[in-house]
Order: sequence, then C-alpha cells, then structure tokens
Amino acid sequence: MKKQIKSGKAKIKSESPKSATVKSTQDEGISQKTKHQSEKAKPIEQKHLICLLGDVQLVKEYSSVFQEHGIAVIELKNLNSLKTSAKKITGAFELSLVSGDQKRKNLEALNTTLPERVPIITSTLTETLLSQTQSLQHRHRFVGIAAFPTLFASHLVELTPSLHTSKETLDSVIALFTAAKKETATVQDSVGMVMPRILCQIINESLFTVQNDVATPNDIDEAMKHGTNYPHGPIAWGELIGFSNVAAVLDALYNNHHEERYRVAPLLRQMAIAGAFWKEKH
Amino acid sequence: MAISIGIVGAGTMGAGIAHIAALNKFNVSLYDINEEVIRRSAERINFEMKRAVDKNKITDDDMKQALSRIKKRTNINDLDTCDLIIEAVLEDIKVKKDLFKKLDQIAHHTAILATNTSSLSVTSIAAATKKPERVVGMHFFNPVYMMKLVEIVKGARTSDETMKSATAIAEQMGKKTVQAKDTPGFIVNRVARPFYGEAMKILGENVTSLEEIDRIVKRSGGFKMGPFELMDLIGNDVNLSVTESVYEQLYHDPRFQPSPIQKQLVEAGMLGKKTKQGFYNYDDK
Repeated sequence: MKKQIKSGKAKIKSESPKSATVKSTQDEGISQKTKHQSEKAKPIEQKHLICLLGDVQLVKEYSSVFQEHGIAVIELKNLNSLKTSAKKITGAFELSLVSGDQKRKNLEALNTTLPERVPIITSTLTETLLSQTQSLQHRHRFVGIAAFPTLFASHLVELTPSLHTSKETLDSVIALFTAAKKETATVQDSVGMVMPRILCQIINESLFTVQNDVATPNDIDEAMKHGTNYPHGPIAWGELIGFSNVAAVLDALYNNHHEERYRVAPLLRQMAIAGAFWKEKH
Repeated sequence: MAISIGIVGAGTMGAGIAHIAALNKFNVSLYDINEEVIRRSAERINFEMKRAVDKNKITDDDMKQALSRIKKRTNINDLDTCDLIIEAVLEDIKVKKDLFKKLDQIAHHTAILATNTSSLSVTSIAAATKKPERVVGMHFFNPVYMMKLVEIVKGARTSDETMKSATAIAEQMGKKTVQAKDTPGFIVNRVARPFYGEAMKILGENVTSLEEIDRIVKRSGGFKMGPFELMDLIGNDVNLSVTESVYEQLYHDPRFQPSPIQKQLVEAGMLGKKTKQGFYNYDDK
C-alpha cells in the first residue's frame, strides 16, 4: 500500500505545476493567469473553479455555499458539458449519495476528462472511498467527503483519504475548503463517516419511537429540542435530509457491519419509499 | 386556592422542582427523611434564586414570596393535604414501590401521585398503589430551572384525567410538555441513546479520536455539546445505568447495547467531571 501512495505522490510531482502549465498553455493557447498561477506550489490555486455533479439537493447546497464565498461553480447537468470546461476546473465534486452505476459513470468521466492534477471529491457515505476508486486510475487524486443534506451550511466538513490518496491531494482539498471558510476534520475511510452516521441512528430511533406508538412525531421533535438541546427535531431533520437518504446510509452501515443495530425502522422504510406522500397523510 | 405540591426527596431534582413550583405560585411541601439534605437543598434554592435576581430574571420580591411558599417537611404524613405529590428519590424500583404504597395511604383520595423516574416503569410503580389511575410520570430534566421540558408519562392504567391534570400543572410551572407512553426511556432517554452509543461505536472502530468526534458533532451537526463531553457532564455511571436499564427492559435489543468503553471508565472510577476524570481530564480546569 505504501508503494502505491508513494507512486501517487510521484505522479503529482512529475506533473508539477510547471509542466501542467506548459501543457495547458499549449492546449488552450492561454494565458497570463495560468502562468502566474503556475508559480505557486499547490495544485489548487486561489482562483478556484469547482464543478459539481450528482444529487440535485446536494449540488444546490454546495453551489450556494461556494458562491457565497466567491468561489466559481459549474453545476454540471450532464457529462457532455464537462469537456468544454475541463481545462479550467480546479476541483470536481461527485455528490451522488448512493453508490451505483450513475456514480461510477460520473467518477470515471471526471477521472478521464479532467487533468490529473485536479482533485476529485466524492461523497463516501454509502461506500468507502477505497471501494469506490478501487478499479479507477489515478486513485491518488480522490478524497471522500461526508456530503449529507443540511450539513454543508455548518462550520465543518468531514473528509477522508483512502489508502491511495496522496498528501498533496488532501492538502489541496483542505485548502479549497479553507478558502470557502470551512474547517475540516479528516477521519478514517468508513461508511457513514461521523456526523451522518450518528444523525441517521438518531432519526431511525425517533421513527421506531413513532412506530411503537410511544409519542407523536411532533412531541418527539419538541422533546429532543427542549429536553436535550438538539438543534432540530430528529423527524423534521430527517424530512429535510430526505428519508430515502437516511435509509440509504443505514442500509450501507447494516451491510457493512452485519449488525442488527443498523436495521431500518419499517416506518422509515415506508417514508423513504412514499416520499412527500407521507407528509400529506400525517 | 393555590394548588399545593408535595415533593418527596430533596436531592438535585427535588430541589429543582420545588424551586420552579414555588416561583410559579404553587405552595410547596419539600419532604426528605434527612433534615440535613433539606437544609442543603433550601440553601441551593436560595443560591439559584439569588442568581436569577442578579441576572434580572426575577425580582427580589418574587424571590421572597417564592421562598415563603416552600415548607420544609421531615414528616411524610404532612403531605396529606397536597393536590399533587411528586416523587424524586433514588432510581430504585423497590424503594419507589414502597414509597408509593405509603403515599397511597397518606395522600388525599383525589391527589395525583407522580414519579420523576427517568428509566423505571411508571406502570410498575403505580401497581404498588390501590389507585393506579391516579399515578403518572412527570419527568423533569436537570437542571430543572433551565430545561424547559417535562415528559408526562402515561402508565398502562393512568387515566386521561390524570394526564390532563399533570400536564396543566407542569405548564403552569412554565414548562413545555410532551406526552409519552410508559416505555423504556420514554422519548428523550430513548431517542438520545444513539447519540452516545453510536459515538462510542465510532470511537471503538478508531474512525477518529473522541475530541474530533465532539468537534464534528458541534461544528458540523450544530449540537451544543459533543457526546463525550456530555457523557462526562451527566456522569458516565448515570449515563451507563440509563442505557443498561433501557437495554434490559427491551430484552437486549441490540440497538441499545451498552458500550464496553463506557463500562471500563465506570469500573475505573472515571465518572466524568465530578471525579475530574472521564473521557477527558479535568484536573487543570
């Protein structure tokens, strides 16, 4: 494994800013700006251009927070539009919460289209970064993120490197978030990471509590806010996140740990399927 | 005529309930078997009210009147005229059942008997009396004068009327009420279990350090305290015993499995802030 991390570093070195600039100057015939940028050590420069791909809700959240801090954003509607802007992009986000064919396709397209120096940040809540990138080239350029609805408006971002991620990549991603006025916490590459995992378990328990007819959803939310100072009632919070997202993280934890404690409450499962219809009924 | 409330047990919770009841114009009889405990409890109420006066939350006059409404009692028979008696003694089912049997004999036949238990069965406590329909759970949170919530807990035989009366009185004490059926942990102590349990599971898997988990929960989740500092504040012994109680009562449902990490802290006497050592070290603070 160490070897691979090293080779990752070596790759980044071999494509040091200088050579990257030469290349891009040749390819695009630009520009003063790029030359200027190339003099700095880090692959991500102060002029960020971020591209976002994946779940609509997350793309919107990330887009608005980045733009608030003066970071330019391209919301990619499809993969075709990626090619036209690929040369200018300094960081790419794949924000599909649930792993599957679409996410794999997106990661592959980003990986093959974007210059190798550009870090790719992918949501790693239902599948570890190691597993997501196992069959990809340039694994050193990927960083995982706890991209979970409602959390990006807060102060802190949870990141994870895989065994293949290079230090340069991680540092440049941390620098990007620093530019967006976010603190970062780097945790081990694990399903659910920290905050989403705890939050999903609380929401799941609150729905078991409804299902067992212990109290009404409204009383449960009020109780958690006023009895133990939670920032939101867990059921209202689950609704904001999307119950299908909560169920997806719990299912992934269940499959990963094979432990009964991550069993999705049958009521949560129904709400995940019924979506907005549940709200009309209750 | 003002409603009179008897409080049995003048520990932290009993004193807190007496404090807010008296401030909200209830006549309070604060009973404890131990005179010294009552004396210290009265001192604490005095101290807290003075602080509230200093912060301009209540007037000096409010304080004087409130204090004059609290009667210190060391004879349990003096609670015979109370409209509501709230029990706040230690969390031991036998102690509580014996007490309720006695209160059932002493109390006026229309009085409501409430237990402030956080983890025992209200139904089981009520079964020690001849009028289980008049027994209800009134679960206050510590510190009582700060935490807004009271869980009104319906035992298997608690009447709707008793629920209504207990709810109305708690609201007159300035509290927000929610209604819960008598099930292990009621609402808060049940839904909050994963906040602690999952955090310890994540720590046990070495995903990151406990300091980092606390930071993430506060700065990413927006919680006021992280799980580890909160467990240290509550006391690891208290927190573990609530978890164990819920776990036992639900016949070992794996969602509530206690953590060996916390068990070891308790065995080591590292109970948290109160012993200056828990998940964190508080020696210098």
